[in-house]
Amino acid sequence: MDKRKIWLVALLSLVAVIMVACSSDSEDEEAGSNEETVGNSELEGKLVVYSSRKEEFVQPILDKFEEETGVEVKLLPSDETIVNRIHEEQVNPQADIFFSTDTAAMEFLKLEGALQPYTGEDAEIIEDKYRADDNSWIGLSARTRGFIYNKDLISEEEMPQTMEELADPKWADEFAMVRGGNGSMISQVAALRTQWGDDKTSEWIKNVGENAGAILAGHGDIRKAVGAGEFKFGLVNNYYYHQQLGEPKDNNVGFIYPDQGEDEMGAFVNASGIGFIEGAPNPENAEAFISFMLEEENMRDFSYNSKETPLHPDVEAVPEALPINEYKTMDMPLSDLGPVWNDAKQLIDQSGLPLEVQ
Amino acid sequence: MKSNNQNRSKVRGAILRTFGRFFRSSKSPGPTLSAMVILTGIFMVIPIIYIGIRSFDNGSQRWLELLDTRIPFLLEKTLSLTLTVTFLGLIIGVVSAILVVKTNLPGRRVWRWLLVVPLTIPAYVGAVSYIILFGPRGLVDNLFGTTIDVFSFPMVVLIITGFTYPYIYLIVSASLQKINPSFEEAGYISGLSHFGVIRKVTIPMVRPAIGSGAILVALYVVSDFGSVAMLRYPTFTQAIYFQMGSFDRVGASIFSMILIVITLVFLGIQYASKRRMKFYQVDGTSKAPTLIDLGKWKVPALIFVSTVFGLFAALPIGVLLYWSGLAVVEGVIDSRFFAFTMNSFMAAAITSLLCLVLALPLIYVKTRFNSGMSRIVDVISYLSYALPGVIVALGVIFIFINYIPFLYGTIAMLIMAYVMRFLPQSLQSTESSMGQISPKIDEAALSLGKKPVQVLNQVILRLIQPGIIASFSLVFVSVIKELPATLLLRPAGFDTLAVRVWIETSEGYYAMAAPSALLIILISILPIRWIMNKY
Repeated sequence: MDKRKIWLVALLSLVAVIMVACSSDSEDEEAGSNEETVGNSELEGKLVVYSSRKEEFVQPILDKFEEETGVEVKLLPSDETIVNRIHEEQVNPQADIFFSTDTAAMEFLKLEGALQPYTGEDAEIIEDKYRADDNSWIGLSARTRGFIYNKDLISEEEMPQTMEELADPKWADEFAMVRGGNGSMISQVAALRTQWGDDKTSEWIKNVGENAGAILAGHGDIRKAVGAGEFKFGLVNNYYYHQQLGEPKDNNVGFIYPDQGEDEMGAFVNASGIGFIEGAPNPENAEAFISFMLEEENMRDFSYNSKETPLHPDVEAVPEALPINEYKTMDMPLSDLGPVWNDAKQLIDQSGLPLEVQ
Repeated sequence: MKSNNQNRSKVRGAILRTFGRFFRSSKSPGPTLSAMVILTGIFMVIPIIYIGIRSFDNGSQRWLELLDTRIPFLLEKTLSLTLTVTFLGLIIGVVSAILVVKTNLPGRRVWRWLLVVPLTIPAYVGAVSYIILFGPRGLVDNLFGTTIDVFSFPMVVLIITGFTYPYIYLIVSASLQKINPSFEEAGYISGLSHFGVIRKVTIPMVRPAIGSGAILVALYVVSDFGSVAMLRYPTFTQAIYFQMGSFDRVGASIFSMILIVITLVFLGIQYASKRRMKFYQVDGTSKAPTLIDLGKWKVPALIFVSTVFGLFAALPIGVLLYWSGLAVVEGVIDSRFFAFTMNSFMAAAITSLLCLVLALPLIYVKTRFNSGMSRIVDVISYLSYALPGVIVALGVIFIFINYIPFLYGTIAMLIMAYVMRFLPQSLQSTESSMGQISPKIDEAALSLGKKPVQVLNQVILRLIQPGIIASFSLVFVSVIKELPATLLLRPAGFDTLAVRVWIETSEGYYAMAAPSALLIILISILPIRWIMNKY
């Protein structure tokens, strides 16, 4: 009797396995028939996307693309370490599209020959400053680095107004920042190197790291902690401020765009974007996807989801965002960051800011 | 008619000879089987050797660099966690084993099962439930505006202990049941109190079991990735994972070598203690063991077992149920969730079958031939027994990039890592049933006029049935739970339940992490019967 029960369990699990196998087959078939019914598209097969963005900001637009074209989108949600993976996989490329939070990383990959040019003319709609010279990567939405602050704890006038001030012992334990291995942090350090040189940048990293009241795993933690009053302010990208404004509570926050003075360097603007991977297994689908992302409607959906500022000139920013031409930004083209990006992480590590939260 | 008979006996003779090769206890298992054993051995060991070689890629300079900086730090962190968890696990495990087996604890038969439940909760899932509860902006924080630091050392120790102590508990209670009551009676006659008997007679007799359990827990702590990573506690596994993330393969290889040495040390201790256990084992008698009357200690004892069960079974499962409920309300359980479940099931089913196919010939060799070959099987099932997932992943990546690039980035990478990790489980669970088939049994069946196919179906397969089922379910569940190798090796679009628990928790979407975590626990409960029998 007992043995029979065991057999039953085994049999059931086998049936389950077979069902799984069959149903995944039928899913494929369904996808195939979908594609036929759409008709206006000749695309087929799949699109492999590597992403260093939070999945929630990427998945909806990928779903939309999948729905409209019938191309099966396979996403590998990861973090900034995906850059190394793409670099490493150059001999045997697996992905078609790199969804990045960071143009410096994409320019680095382009310089290493891991990206290929995109020839569609629709890329011209984006300002030159925000795309590669051969359009192998294209910025889609802007993110500006600055300080989110809790208005209950500190006023706009009391807040530090420059990046340099963060190293001032006066702010010891008053603010939160992100771990050194975070993509946005690496790029900011790369940008500072172009302005300050390595020695000053390294000194700044060291002091800021010691000053910080907490070094957190991600920017989402920082905005929530500042909103909840755990810290007076935090170093984040501006869209985290926009996100915090949208919270049902803990939303009395403000944002400082730093380094706005006449002879100061301006705020560091980075962009989220997409790169076209050299040797992509599905190049037609990748091109179709890039073109898809450049359409106004999709650009709006994409950037509104994360509350970044769209780089398409005809797409208005979310109402919370200060238009990008109303504050001073660093004037170097983002592609200048490529060469200084690679060892920025090393510089951060050597300066004593932990790369990972432990 | 006559020729038909002749033919039949000819065929039977031929098949008998073939089977004879399997069942005769000879010096050599023959070329085919030997090749299978050796190939499997190579398959299991090469990635590890490769890691060793790669760790010297830049000469010894990188070694010296890391020996100077990260290694002492990681050693201290890893060992202090391992020792503290093992110590606390010993207290919880031994005390609850004694209460359940040796005393008149009310409901002891029920408690016996309840106290094993935490074993079905992978430590990282347990950690998730504690983070949901006590983490920043978690349940407690939202309700009371303040919370305890779930990432502090004492909490990390408590959480990991809570989901590993059952190893000690199971082994010790199994051993306690085997004690011959006459020894304890002798203790009472000599005038010892209950406590004195436990301290001076009972515990010394189960000491080898206690040691064995402690080593199992220690091995779990040094090799587990998910729990320490989620609780942000730096150990070697976590360091290897992050080095791999920044594609510093040399650094990752060096950390791996050190971790392998640590596990080997623990395995060595375990091997020694197992051998000693044989000397200590005492046959039971038909006499029913006398239970200690707890008296006024009944209430504290009940509080103790309830606290353990509450903290490490009821609480985490309750939290996950609550959040899964929210998830259902929010409509999170959608077609994606089913896709993740199917990915998990598919990978688990393929691996379980593959492990069986590889394990059966190996176990044939081991149980039928007393040769060097069977020792190779032993080494295989022993060495990779405690191989951490991060190390397996590293080795598999090396192999695929360099030798099988066309399969790189496919599910094959994942399956190979799973097989490397879980083949030992398959070997262990099929071995006992295979050992039961005496060659005489199949010869007897043949001589009774059964056809060889019938012998195979009616005798051999039936006899090893339990082993096959146990192996299939144990490997199946292990794959469902597996986190680090899956994270590192999965192809795009192939997220499993475990991966989703990781992703959603790290982004703070607890309602989305909970259903996957709960499903992992439910599946893990299925083979608990074999897990309990194992110890």
